Amino acid sequence: MRNKGALSKIALAVLLASTASPALAQGGANNITIVLPEQPSNLEPCGSILTDVGQVLSQNITEPLTVIDPKDGTPQPKLATKWERVNDTTWRFHLRDGVKFQDGKEFNAEAVAFTLKRMTGGAFTCNNLAKFGSAKLSVTPVDKLTVDIKTEKPEPILPALLSVAMMVSPATPADKAVNDPVGTGPYKLNTFTPQTVVLDRFDGYWGKTPDIAKATYVWRGESSLRAAMVQTGEAQLTPTIAIQDATNPKTDFSYLNSETTAIRIDTEQPPLNDVRVRKALNLAIDWQGMAELFGTDVLRASQMVVPGINGHNPDLKPWGYDPDQAAKLLAEAKADGVPVGTTIKLIGRNGIYPNGNEGLEAMMTMWEAVGFDIDLTMLDVADWTRYLQKPFPQERGPNLLQIMHDNNKGDAAFTVPIFYHSSGQYATFSDPKVDTLIGEALNATDTGRTKAFQEIFSEVHDRIAVDIPMFHMIGYTRVGESLDWRPNLTTNSEIPLAEIRLKK
Amino acid sequence: MTVIPTDLKAAQKPSGREPGKARVLLGYLVHDKLALISAIYLLILIFAAIFGPMLVGDMATKLGLRQRNMAPFSLEQGWLYVLGADTLGRSILARLVVGAQNTLGIAAAAVVTSMLIGGALGLIAGYSNRWYSQVILRLADIIMSFPSLLLALIVLYTLGPSIPNLIIVLAITRIPIYLRTTRAEVLELRERMFVSAAKAMGAGSLRIVLSHIAPLVAPTLITIAAIDFASVILAESALSFLGLGIQPPQFTWGAMVATGRGYLANAWWVAFWPGLAILLTTLSLNLLSSWARTVADPQQRWRLQTLRRAPR
Amino acid sequence: MFGYLGKRALHSVVSVLGLLVLVFFLTRLTGDPSYLFLPLDATPQAREAFSALHGFDQPLYIQFFNYLGDLLHLDFGESLRQNRSAMEVALEAFPQTLKLAVMAIFLAGALALVVGSLAAAKPGSLFDRFASLVSLAGASAPDFWVAIVGILVFAVSLDLLPTSGTGSAAHWIMPIGVLMLRPFGLLVQVVRGTMIGALSSPYVKTARAKGVRRQKIIFSHALRNSLLPVITVAGDLATSLVNGAVVVESVFGWPGIGKLMIDAIIQRDFAVVQSTVLVTACAIFILNIAIDILYAVLDPRIRYQTS
Repeated sequence: MRNKGALSKIALAVLLASTASPALAQGGANNITIVLPEQPSNLEPCGSILTDVGQVLSQNITEPLTVIDPKDGTPQPKLATKWERVNDTTWRFHLRDGVKFQDGKEFNAEAVAFTLKRMTGGAFTCNNLAKFGSAKLSVTPVDKLTVDIKTEKPEPILPALLSVAMMVSPATPADKAVNDPVGTGPYKLNTFTPQTVVLDRFDGYWGKTPDIAKATYVWRGESSLRAAMVQTGEAQLTPTIAIQDATNPKTDFSYLNSETTAIRIDTEQPPLNDVRVRKALNLAIDWQGMAELFGTDVLRASQMVVPGINGHNPDLKPWGYDPDQAAKLLAEAKADGVPVGTTIKLIGRNGIYPNGNEGLEAMMTMWEAVGFDIDLTMLDVADWTRYLQKPFPQERGPNLLQIMHDNNKGDAAFTVPIFYHSSGQYATFSDPKVDTLIGEALNATDTGRTKAFQEIFSEVHDRIAVDIPMFHMIGYTRVGESLDWRPNLTTNSEIPLAEIRLKK
Repeated sequence: MTVIPTDLKAAQKPSGREPGKARVLLGYLVHDKLALISAIYLLILIFAAIFGPMLVGDMATKLGLRQRNMAPFSLEQGWLYVLGADTLGRSILARLVVGAQNTLGIAAAAVVTSMLIGGALGLIAGYSNRWYSQVILRLADIIMSFPSLLLALIVLYTLGPSIPNLIIVLAITRIPIYLRTTRAEVLELRERMFVSAAKAMGAGSLRIVLSHIAPLVAPTLITIAAIDFASVILAESALSFLGLGIQPPQFTWGAMVATGRGYLANAWWVAFWPGLAILLTTLSLNLLSSWARTVADPQQRWRLQTLRRAPR
Repeated sequence: MFGYLGKRALHSVVSVLGLLVLVFFLTRLTGDPSYLFLPLDATPQAREAFSALHGFDQPLYIQFFNYLGDLLHLDFGESLRQNRSAMEVALEAFPQTLKLAVMAIFLAGALALVVGSLAAAKPGSLFDRFASLVSLAGASAPDFWVAIVGILVFAVSLDLLPTSGTGSAAHWIMPIGVLMLRPFGLLVQVVRGTMIGALSSPYVKTARAKGVRRQKIIFSHALRNSLLPVITVAGDLATSLVNGAVVVESVFGWPGIGKLMIDAIIQRDFAVVQSTVLVTACAIFILNIAIDILYAVLDPRIRYQTS
């Protein structure tokens, strides 16, 4: 029995070692724990447009020159105090004075130039660059607090674009991605381990001193777990929970989260190339019943951008539920020789949004009820992306693709060209009139720009019925009763700790 | 993981050729109440899996968006909703029945596939000493020594989730068991007199293996397959639960648990019933195989005989 | 004995290498990781740049030789997601799983020895029947389901235990409880079976004839002999524990190697998948060799020969 004794000693030692590890920060009135849906894959400021990175980094550790006002989509001052257009291709930014990075380095024109050069350098993958499309930047410091940014082509919305450029300390390595970001924000990184991220208040912050002294981030994949953790006090805030877990009106708040769900129709493939068939697809869905799945607060969508984005068309009426009309349109199309009986592939993506699978199953049943033949396939992200983006798979056949689009950058230019221009990455159709309209809209400014985008949305919805917009989605957050904080349109991309107040 | 008997040969079910054997077996079964209940449960389940989808198949997909997550034990909507409704308002009972067909069907297909392939490879590896026998054995070693769930995840992710791929993956992870057992038996059998005799009479290797050795190995393999069935059901459920198994609109019990997982706090029944169905099925299978082992073991059999003796 | 062990070690190394080759090609077949690591609206140029940066644009065989070359320098590649060495990521997660597994196997073993021997002491008794049913249920239960029902009951409804995660001692209870179910069920069966065999063996009968007390026979004679079969199934238990760990860790958010592996597979973080496979396989092979040695130490009748 000697062996067993030895074993028990080992096991005991292991137990002691494990339980001796420090308990998670729960005590301390100014400390909070936030539970995220997924582990931040890394903390590279250049990846802050990704939800998992941005919710920890943005406005906490790192700050950009401008921020987007969620109400009207206009850029507002942050590290830049004002800006003006010098000529068609050049913008001049005036920087905030007296700002320090968390490592003590000074924030100035050189630091802006360093950050933008690091982003565009290509030594590592900079995800945020995707928002710039093909825009090429060249940065010239004018004096200590003034910087000129030149683009190859005219860029009317450059100040909005720069809201994704997170300013980093010039001491950051320029040739590789980092996990220890240093920015100008109100919090600095304490530790980043496989279990937690801990942020401490940065005493040298240029703005107002925030309430929260220390924030610990943990992550759990299950919505019900996250909700339970806030309920039991293990955590004080979780940014997203599923609708079925949002049961307590005192702690659970809904917010329009800038995401729009839709089904993209592959308009090149018969029978989907017939506009009557596309309209029938829109009319066959019991939209009110569907809304039950995603929360009664969701907004029925008629276009791919949410209200508040420049270019959103408030006069556009979404399709209603009219199965008889849908069946009639189908019959008409059939009479004209359209092969409406062809099996149509409905392609979903696992985990795209809460209750997404159930939603597709429900839609499949409804479409089959009016006479479509639908074959539902669930794919993982990479396989699904092959259908989303050009070049599309060769032998794809008629297909409907479950999509979700997130535009929280204030302008329809982040949506329209990708979806509706014939060269757009997601576009399955080409319409010369729409192409011309898009060209005009992109170069327009102010109200002309708004009107131009609104016209495009009405074209693709009413005339072409190019896709099936579903809902502007609602997110639910659970906020512990000790905190004074409400989610908004930007919560999906950032959770500014400085805005969280403690209830006295 | 199944409870694998320490002596597999002892677990072979009596072949039932002698007259009256079935009746004796039935007597043993009646004597062990748990095994009897298990057998009845499994019979009902098999019946439901074969004929149920014809009766309630439509109800399993019929939406009721306005009766989502209806609580169980209410007969207001009809007896089909006695176990409640799922996240889309579909009858859970109907879905359990349809799910049973998928769950049992996939497991059965995987077990048969792995038994046939594992048996065939085992015959080759046991009868021949060529290089490929070594390769087969090493491959089996690799599969055996690595956690089957992880291997299945990697392979399934490569092939893409679908029912045939799910069957292939489950079969691959179980093949080594059949392979090794077969090989061990063949190694012993090929030295026997009748094999030498067949050889002397000029029979080819293929003929010897197929007509002389394979029939003798088969009963052992079928016994393992019966025991393995429960593990395969569990493995399939775990894969489907983790989201890499069966994909909507198709479903198994494991996938039903996965769907209900998100509703645990508000509608526990969505995840509870399919999980319970898995537990009852695997438990019944294990109880029956444990009973079969007792029957096959002369030292234990007295427990099931009506003629009681004092234990010691 | 050392000849035998040497041969086994050689086989193990060959198996690990085979596994690595297999996993390398399998993961590469799953498709282009740029779709997962770049935002959906990234340009095709950005995707090409990403592939070139990580060498995915090279032919597969060249990627493979590069990988082998790096392995010789103990370079296991970079995690695409975490911007750091993949092996570092794997080794950080491994102790978390090891701690869980050791605790689970130890508790399962200890409990199974007690329950199994008590059941074997009076075969057919009420306790025996109950123990058999419980152990079979343990071995048959879908662990993922037990885990979520456990959370529902103990954390959400009763609020006795934390829902998930790591930290205090209470965080360990549910993961260990779920993880030990199957080993416990299996071990009770094994212990009971061998104990019944041992109790009816001639030497126990002799001891009984000599008037040695029942308890003493059970706990000092029979138990000792039933340890061997327990160790025999330990190898199978190790792999089944890792299977269990994948499920348990993903339900309870336990930052171990099982969760890391499943995340890495889904995210196509190739280097991390390969490193976790390597770490897991090595751990299992070391364990198997340790079992062989333990076997020889415990049972003097067994001597390994090189043949």
